[in-house]
Amino acid sequence: MNKLKPKLFRINTGSCNGCDVEFLATALVDKFQFHKLEVEIAEEISQANLLVITGPLTARSEPFLKSYINKLSEPYVVVGIGTCSITSGIFRDSYAINGPTDKVIDVDINISGCPPRPQSIAEGIAKGVAILNQKVQNVNISKQMDTILQGFEAPKSFRGKINLHANLCTACRTCETVCPSGAINITKIGDKYEHKVWHNTCCFCGNCVFFCPTGAIYNTNDFDTAKHQDEKYSDTNISYIKTDNCSSCNKRYKKPTTGLLKKAYINDDINKLNNNLCPECRKKENFTRMYL
Amino acid sequence: MGKTIKIGPFHPELEESVYFKLVADKNSIVQEVEIVNGFIHRGMESLVTNRNFMQNLILTERVCSLCSNNHPFTFVMAVEKIANIKVPSRAEALRVVADEIKRAASNLFNLAMLSHLTHSYELMKDTLETREYLQDLKETIWGNRMDMSVNLFTGVKYDLDAKKVVHILEKLNLAIPKIKELQKRFENDEIIKQRCVGVGILPTEKALEIGVTGPVARGSGINNDVRVKAPYSLYALRPELQPRTKPRNGCDVLSRAMARFDDIIEAVRIIKDLLSDLPRGKTYLEKRPHIPEGEAVVRTEAPRGELIYYLKTDGSQKPIRMRWKVPTYTNWEALKVMILGDKVENVTIILNSIDPCISCTER
Ligand code: SF4
Ligand code: SF4
Ligand code: SF4
Repeated sequence: MNKLKPKLFRINTGSCNGCDVEFLATALVDKFQFHKLEVEIAEEISQANLLVITGPLTARSEPFLKSYINKLSEPYVVVGIGTCSITSGIFRDSYAINGPTDKVIDVDINISGCPPRPQSIAEGIAKGVAILNQKVQNVNISKQMDTILQGFEAPKSFRGKINLHANLCTACRTCETVCPSGAINITKIGDKYEHKVWHNTCCFCGNCVFFCPTGAIYNTNDFDTAKHQDEKYSDTNISYIKTDNCSSCNKRYKKPTTGLLKKAYINDDINKLNNNLCPECRKKENFTRMYL
Repeated sequence: MGKTIKIGPFHPELEESVYFKLVADKNSIVQEVEIVNGFIHRGMESLVTNRNFMQNLILTERVCSLCSNNHPFTFVMAVEKIANIKVPSRAEALRVVADEIKRAASNLFNLAMLSHLTHSYELMKDTLETREYLQDLKETIWGNRMDMSVNLFTGVKYDLDAKKVVHILEKLNLAIPKIKELQKRFENDEIIKQRCVGVGILPTEKALEIGVTGPVARGSGINNDVRVKAPYSLYALRPELQPRTKPRNGCDVLSRAMARFDDIIEAVRIIKDLLSDLPRGKTYLEKRPHIPEGEAVVRTEAPRGELIYYLKTDGSQKPIRMRWKVPTYTNWEALKVMILGDKVENVTIILNSIDPCISCTER
């Protein structure tokens, strides 16, 4: 069987250090299983067949990256480490950024995270090596890939992929407002609100979780973020937030959730609140009850 | 006639992208240095003015992931100065705990890279393994190995219960003997001595003239640690916490490495002192303040030295100006002094000895 010795070359296109530091930790600390992949570090780009890219691709790096890429020879694979390299992450709307990486070179594997855990980085590189071998053997590249490196776990407290308890969410948009990388999008579609989180834009900072008034949004400890490029735009978390009919005027409105009501009425029994009214009708009713 | 040598901008021995053009004579002694920068410029001074204060808590972390607690720490202190907020003392303590953990981990990474560059394989492995105690800690307590997301204007986002305190102490107690042993090994290792003693000299007068900070200054006989000279946060409230390091006088790569070990050992001491006597109370103020029009300058001691934040606000949700003076900005100037007259083969080791943070400097 044809097998190529993977030779890795890393290019930092303007990272905050995080991804590069953690890449080095991945490569040099045994517990991350990187040595199992038998990857060699190439001294020169021209010897490399496994290109690892970090950073959002600054305008200054772009011409250098292009000239380095020209020195590569087929077959090779490209692995992007960090949210920055996938979508330019937290820096993406800056004048100094020309990225993300896939504008300049075809990427095979993306590893989201900010920075990703070394376990995810090792897994991403393992997938990169697998694709390299498929390219050498000229077989069809598999897009759905199983986890290669086994035995990795994350502590419960690890800030991994975002998820939502849709029943607690009031579509208040606090999370959207505090999210530094624009990873959350809340849109009204018909009678519902769509709450969407892009895992490849998210920098896993937990700001949304901290500021959410109802405890609806949370970090799971899921660190399975090494994905094929084909999944770049589909790796999302989508939830729908229902609206209800106002019992008086029949208009659709978003009912406050129990989580929110408990916060507002700390000394009252929230079950006794008349909460089937839209804000306007509630105002009217309260006014009638109290003053007329 | 000299030989021109180019290193970079992308090179396995350079953690960050930078481009060196050197002219060396026939004995490989560097005669001229030109350093080409700008690869890590992400336009952050503009970005922060397009983000609200809450988003900037995180964006400032991404200036640099190695000192990613110091940036938001300094940023929130500037906001608090403008809005006249006094944070609970428990929050101050938790900020310092996080900051010192980062300091220790950042310095250990630099030392690991030094041993990597000298090809001292065992030493490098052991240094990185020791750093893993801190990385694991950061991940279990704060949720990420690099970016801890701790700071908030009005306090901090996390709290420590008794179980977590015990966990931190247990991990630190495992790490301390390893750190002390590593320091001895670095000091006595033959290869390290060969490559680091008398290499990359920065004489004390030059260091003063350039105004270097942090471990670079402490390696050249100057201690201008902000935590001592202009204490802030809990370092001001509890002076006994201030680091008690003495500067090293070798003015070379090894002295700077030793200054980093001194910093790590003091960082761990500070955390242990704090955890044995954590102030009680709230971790942040419930009420989120309005941030009025104003200006503030704040300085702190980052792992690499003095960090200064300038912040200007106009009463809106976003800063109208934010500027940084980062430690590497002054330390970088010292590189030319260190590299000129030294050997070409030492250039990457000398560069590593100022623990450059290019992403801070070019932002
Ligand atoms: S993905 Fe995050 S950690 Fe990695 S370079 Fe970008 S900002 Fe830094
Ligand atoms: S997740 Fe929380 S912050 Fe976001 S819209 Fe829902 S309730 Fe508001
Ligand atoms: S963790 Fe939340 S706030 Fe942070 S980037 Fe991801 S979605 Fe945005």
